[in-house]
Amino acid sequence: MPRAGLDRALPVWVIAALVLVFLMALPLVWLAWLSVSSEGGATLANYRAVVADVALRRALWNTLVLAFWVGLASVAVGAPLAWLTARTDLPGKGLLRALVLASFVTPPFLGAFAWVMLAGPNAGLLNTLWRSWTGSEHALVNIFTMPGLVFVVTTYTFPYVYIMVVNTLALIASDLEEAAAILGAGRLTVALTVTLPMVLPALMSGFILAVLQALALFGSPAILALPAGFHTITTQIWSFFQYPPKVEQAAAFSLPLLLATALLLLVQKRVLGRRGYAAVGGKGGQRRPIALGAWRWPALAACGLVMACSIVLPYGILAKAALSRAWAQPLTWSNLTLANFTFTFVDYGATQAAIVNTLELGVATACVGAALVAVLAYVSNRRLVIGHQVVGFLALAPIVIPGVVLAVALFIAYTRPPFVLYGTLAILFVAYLTKEMPTGYAQSDATFRGIPADLEDAGRILGAGRLRILRDVTAPLARSGIIAAWCFIFIGVIRELSASIILFTPATKVMSVVIFDLKEEGQFGAIAVLGLTMLALTFGTVAIMQGLLGRDVLGARH
Amino acid sequence: MRPLSLLLAALLSLAGVAAAADDPRLVEAARKEGKVVWYTSLALPTAEKVAKQFEAAYPGVKVEVNRTGSERILQRVMQELGANIKNVDVIHTSDAGHFVLLKDKKLLMKYTPAGVEKFPAGFKDKDGYYYGLRATVNAIAYNTKAVSAADAPKTWKDLLDPRWKGKMVTAHPGYSGVIATHVLALVNLLGWDYFKQLAGNQLMIVQSANDPSGVVASGERPVAVDGGEYTFYQIKKKGNPVEIVYPKEGVPLVISPQAIMSFAPHPNAARLFSDFTFGRELQQLMADSEGLYTGHPDVKYPADKPKLSDLKLLNVDPEELLKRNEEIKKRFVEFFGA
Amino acid sequence: MPGVTIKDLAKRYGDVGAVQGLSLTVEPGELVALLGPSGCGKTTTLRLVAGFLTPEGGEIWVGERCLSSSAGVVPPERRRMAMIFQSYALWPHMTVAQNVAYGLRFKRGLGRADREARVHEMLRVVQLGGYEGRYPGELSGGQQQRVAVARALVVEPEILLLDEPLSNLDANLREEMRFEIRRLHEEFAITTLYVTHDQAEAMVISDRIAVIEHGRVAQVGTADDVFLRPRTRFVAEFIGKTNLIEGVAESSDTLVCGRLRLRVGGGLVPGAAAAVSVRPHDIALAPAGGAPADALRGTVTRVSFLGDSVDYQVAVADSDVVLRVETPVGRRFRAGEAVALTIAPGVCVALGAEEGA
Repeated sequence: MPRAGLDRALPVWVIAALVLVFLMALPLVWLAWLSVSSEGGATLANYRAVVADVALRRALWNTLVLAFWVGLASVAVGAPLAWLTARTDLPGKGLLRALVLASFVTPPFLGAFAWVMLAGPNAGLLNTLWRSWTGSEHALVNIFTMPGLVFVVTTYTFPYVYIMVVNTLALIASDLEEAAAILGAGRLTVALTVTLPMVLPALMSGFILAVLQALALFGSPAILALPAGFHTITTQIWSFFQYPPKVEQAAAFSLPLLLATALLLLVQKRVLGRRGYAAVGGKGGQRRPIALGAWRWPALAACGLVMACSIVLPYGILAKAALSRAWAQPLTWSNLTLANFTFTFVDYGATQAAIVNTLELGVATACVGAALVAVLAYVSNRRLVIGHQVVGFLALAPIVIPGVVLAVALFIAYTRPPFVLYGTLAILFVAYLTKEMPTGYAQSDATFRGIPADLEDAGRILGAGRLRILRDVTAPLARSGIIAAWCFIFIGVIRELSASIILFTPATKVMSVVIFDLKEEGQFGAIAVLGLTMLALTFGTVAIMQGLLGRDVLGARH
Repeated sequence: MRPLSLLLAALLSLAGVAAAADDPRLVEAARKEGKVVWYTSLALPTAEKVAKQFEAAYPGVKVEVNRTGSERILQRVMQELGANIKNVDVIHTSDAGHFVLLKDKKLLMKYTPAGVEKFPAGFKDKDGYYYGLRATVNAIAYNTKAVSAADAPKTWKDLLDPRWKGKMVTAHPGYSGVIATHVLALVNLLGWDYFKQLAGNQLMIVQSANDPSGVVASGERPVAVDGGEYTFYQIKKKGNPVEIVYPKEGVPLVISPQAIMSFAPHPNAARLFSDFTFGRELQQLMADSEGLYTGHPDVKYPADKPKLSDLKLLNVDPEELLKRNEEIKKRFVEFFGA
Repeated sequence: MPGVTIKDLAKRYGDVGAVQGLSLTVEPGELVALLGPSGCGKTTTLRLVAGFLTPEGGEIWVGERCLSSSAGVVPPERRRMAMIFQSYALWPHMTVAQNVAYGLRFKRGLGRADREARVHEMLRVVQLGGYEGRYPGELSGGQQQRVAVARALVVEPEILLLDEPLSNLDANLREEMRFEIRRLHEEFAITTLYVTHDQAEAMVISDRIAVIEHGRVAQVGTADDVFLRPRTRFVAEFIGKTNLIEGVAESSDTLVCGRLRLRVGGGLVPGAAAAVSVRPHDIALAPAGGAPADALRGTVTRVSFLGDSVDYQVAVADSDVVLRVETPVGRRFRAGEAVALTIAPGVCVALGAEEGA
C-alpha cells in the first residue's frame, strides 16, 4: 500500500483559509450579536430604536435617494462615454481613457472637497465667475444639496459603469451591428436595437455597482450632506460613536445596509450569470469604428465636460488652494505662497506621523494582502482544500460590507478581549486587509486562471514537489499579476476613509483621517496639499502597475 | 506666520526666562519621559505654536498635538478608556461639562499649575482638578463686502429675519464645545424656540467653532451666527473683510479648562506642560497673537479688542452643561437636520 | 522496465462517475492507446495513473509498486513517470534548454555537464539542435511539441503518459508526428499510455488499443482485433463505419431479421436476440439482373462519390434494413437502381450484449 502521501504544503493552504474565515467571521458575529444585545440579555430594542427614530428613517431614505440617482446618473454618463471611446472614431480616445482611469482612482472625498471650493453657492469659484459674468445675484449651482451630492458622487462613480460596458462592447463583433446596418437600420437604430440589448446586462451590473458605491460612501456625504443639514446611513452610523456612544444602535443600523448590499450583489450576479458575457460570447470578428460624422465635435465636447468635472476642475482648484493664502481669492503674486506646504509637512506634527502610518499600513497591508490573496486564489483555483469553493466566496464576501459597517464590526470585535487591537495600527491593518481583499482576490484569481494547471503538473510529474513548482513555475508566471494585486491593495489603503474614521485613535491617524480632521476645521490649504500628496502616491503606484501589466487598470489591453 | 522665525525668537527670549523659574527635578523627570500627549481643541495653528514654544523651552520633551473638536476629544478619550488604552496626558476642551464628568469618574489628576491661584473664580475648579486655560465669547460676524454695517444684524434675534435665509453659517455643538456652551447659554436666555426659528433660515452647518470665520471671510456665507470670537478677530487682523458684532443681549462666555489625566503616561512632562501653558508668557501669547482672553491677571490685551468687563457675559454652569449635553446635541440635530 | 496494472479503478466527480471499475494491464515496453469519445474517462484515467488524482476505489501498480489506492497516492513527483500534455505545458519563462533540463534537476548524481550533454543529445534526437536558447513562444506548434517530447524523454521515465498530444497540430503535421512518436517509442521502448480520441492515430501508434466507454474498458486488443473483431456494438460503431443489424439467432451461425438471413462466423446463441456488425466495404454490389434467385436484393437510395470509393445507401428488399455499402470506383449504380448484395459469412461479426446497457 502506498503511504498516504500527505502534501507537505497542506498546512499553508489550511492556515490561509483559516485566516480568511477568522478575518470575516469574528467581526460579523460580534456585529450581529451586539445589535441584539443589551444589559438584560437578547433584545430587539436596538432595532426598534432604529426604526422608531424619525431622523434615522430620514437618513435611510436619503441614502436610498442618493444611491438610486447616482446609479442612474452613472449609467447616463458612463455608458455613452464607453460607447464613444470603444466603438466610434471620436478623437482623443486614449486621453479620455486615461482621464476615466484618473477619476476611477481619485479618492471621492477629495473630489467632494474640491467641489466645495468649486461650487459652494457663494464663494465657489464657478459661482463667483458666474456672478461676475452675468451680474446675477444668485448662484449657478449649490453643491450643498442632494442633487449636488449626487453630482459629485457620480463624477467618481461612473467609471464602474464605464468599465463594465467598455469590456462588454469589446466582445461584440462589428458584424452583428453591420448585419443590422445592411438591413437598412440607421446608426442610432443599430445602437438602440442591437448594441444596447447586448450591453444591457453590463449596464444593469454597472448600475448596481454604482449604487453599491454610493451606499457605502462616507466622505462625500460627510463633506456635502452634513453642511446641508442631512444625514446618510454612513454619516449617521459614524455619529453614533459620539459620546455617549451608541454602538449597539450603530450595529443595528449597520445590518440593513449589509443586507442591502448583499442583496444587490446577488442580483448583479444573477444578471451577469444569466445572459451576461456568455450571451455576448466569442471573440468576434474585426471591429470597425463607427463614423460619427458631424457629431464628432459635440460628442467630444460632452466628454470633455465630464472630464472637466471629474478631473480638470477639481485638480485645478486643489492645486490653487495648495498654493494660495486664501483659496477663494484670485491667484495673484501676493496670494501665492508655499506656507501651506511648510505648515502641512513641517509645523503640523500629525501630518508626518499620518503619512508614515499610511505608508506603513499601505505597504504592510499590500504585502500581506497580496500574499494572502495569492495563496487563496491558488488554493481555490487548484482545488487544494476541501471547501475550496467557500474560500473564493469568502475572499469576495467583504465586498458586501460597507467600510463603515466593517469598522463598526471591527471596533466591537477588537476593543474587547480576547483581541484588543483598538488603538494600534493593527486594527486598521485588519480593516484594510479585509476591505481590500475582494479587489486583490479578483486580480489574483484572474492571474491564476491565466496559468494553466498543466504547467504545474508538467513539473510535478518530472519530480518537483508542489512547493518547488510554486517557486520555479507558478511564482515567476504569476509575478506581475501579484504585483498588480499589491498595487490595487496599496491604492485602496492609502485612500481609505470610511473605516479609518471610526477605527483611528490620535496615535494612529492616517492621511485620509487627517484630511477629514482638517476639513472639519476648515484648513483648506493644508487639505489641498495633503490631497495632492495622496494623488501623487496613487498615480505613482498606478504608473508602476501599468508598466508591469502592459495594460491599463481598467482592464483593456493596449 | 513664519514658524521658523517664531521658533528662533522663542529660543532666544522665552527659553531662558521660563526654564529658570522651574523646578529642575521636574524638568529632568519630564525629559526622561520624553514627550507629552496633548488632546486639545485649541485651533490647530495655535496649538502647534504652543507646542513649538514648549519644545523650544524644554528641548528633549516633545509635544504630541492631537487637535479636534471638544466633543470629539471626549469621545476619543472615552473610547480609548473603553479599550483600556492610556494615551493622553493633558486634556483641553471648550466644554467645561467634560471636566465635571471626568472629575466624577476620577479620571483627573489633582494638580495646581504655578500661578493659577491669582486667576478669577470662573477659571478655577474649587477642588483643584482643572483650570481655565483660555476664554472666548461667541459673537456674530459678517462679511463687510456682502453686508453693510447698517444692515448687519445687531442682536441674536436679528438673525431670525427671513432676509438672512440661506446666508448664514453655524458650527456644530456635537463637535465643538464652544458651540455647545453657546447653545446652552442662548437656550437659557431665549429658549429652544429661538433655534427652531433660526433653523428655518436654512443655515450652512460646519463642525468646528473655528470654521465659521473662514466661511464668512471667503464669502461662502456672509453671516456667522456663532463661532469663537477670537477666530473672527484673527481672520479680521489678517485683512479679511470681516466685522464682529457683540449682541446687546449678552455674549456666551466660554472658558476652556485644561487638566492632567489621572492615568497620564507622562505625568511629569504633563505637569511641566501645565506650568508652561498657564505661565504668563504663554497666556500673553494667546492674547496677543490669537486674540483669546485668559484668566491671568497680568495679561495685557490688544487695544482693538473689547475688554471682557465691557461685555455683557452669559455664563454657563459646567454641571448644567454636562447634564444637558445630550439634549443640546439631539435638539440641535432635530432642528438643523444633521 | 516495469509494466502498469490498473485494477478496478473508480473516480467520481460529484455525482458523475468518470471512471467506474476500469481494469487494464500494460506490458513492460508496450504502448497502449486509451481510445474513446470525449467524456469517456480516458483522460481521468491517465491523470489517476500520473497521481494528480486520488481514486475512490481500485489500485494502480507499476511493476511491484502500488502507487495509488483509495487509501492514498504516491505524489506525482515520486512516480518516475513523464507526461506530455495536450497543451504541451511548456514553461513560457524558460528557454527550450531550461524546459528540457528541468526534470534532470531531480535526478541524483547528475552533474551539470552531464545534464547539459543529455539535454543537447535529446534535442538532437527530436531534431531541435540549435534551438536551446529559444523561448517556447518563439517556436511553431510542431517545434513546441518536440520540446515537450524531449522534456519527457530526457528523464528516462519508467512510464510515459501522453494526453492527446497531437490534437493541437494541423492535419499534415499530425500525421507526420504519429510516425515520429512511433519511431521514438521503438527507439526508447518505454512503457506508454497514450490517450486519444482519434482511432487512426491509435491504430498507427499503439501496440494495443483499449477502447474506453463510460469509464470502463470496452475492449482491449491490437488494431486488428478491435477493428475486425469488435466485441460490442459500441466498439464496432466507434472504430470505423459499420452496419449494425439486429435480429434473432436461428442457430449459432445464422441471424434472421425479417426476411433477411445473414450467415455469421459463429458465436450466436440460438433463439436469442442478437446483433451483427458488417463493415460497408465488406459488402459487394452487383446488378440485380444477373443475380441468382436467392440472392439478397435491394434498391440504391443514395449515391455519394468519395474520390477513392463510392458510398451507397441500399434499402434491402422486403425488410426495413438500410445498409451502407462502400465499393471501389468502377461499376457505378444510380439511385433507384435495383442491386444484388453479397455478404460473405466471415465478415459478419456477432456482437455481445452491451455491458450495463
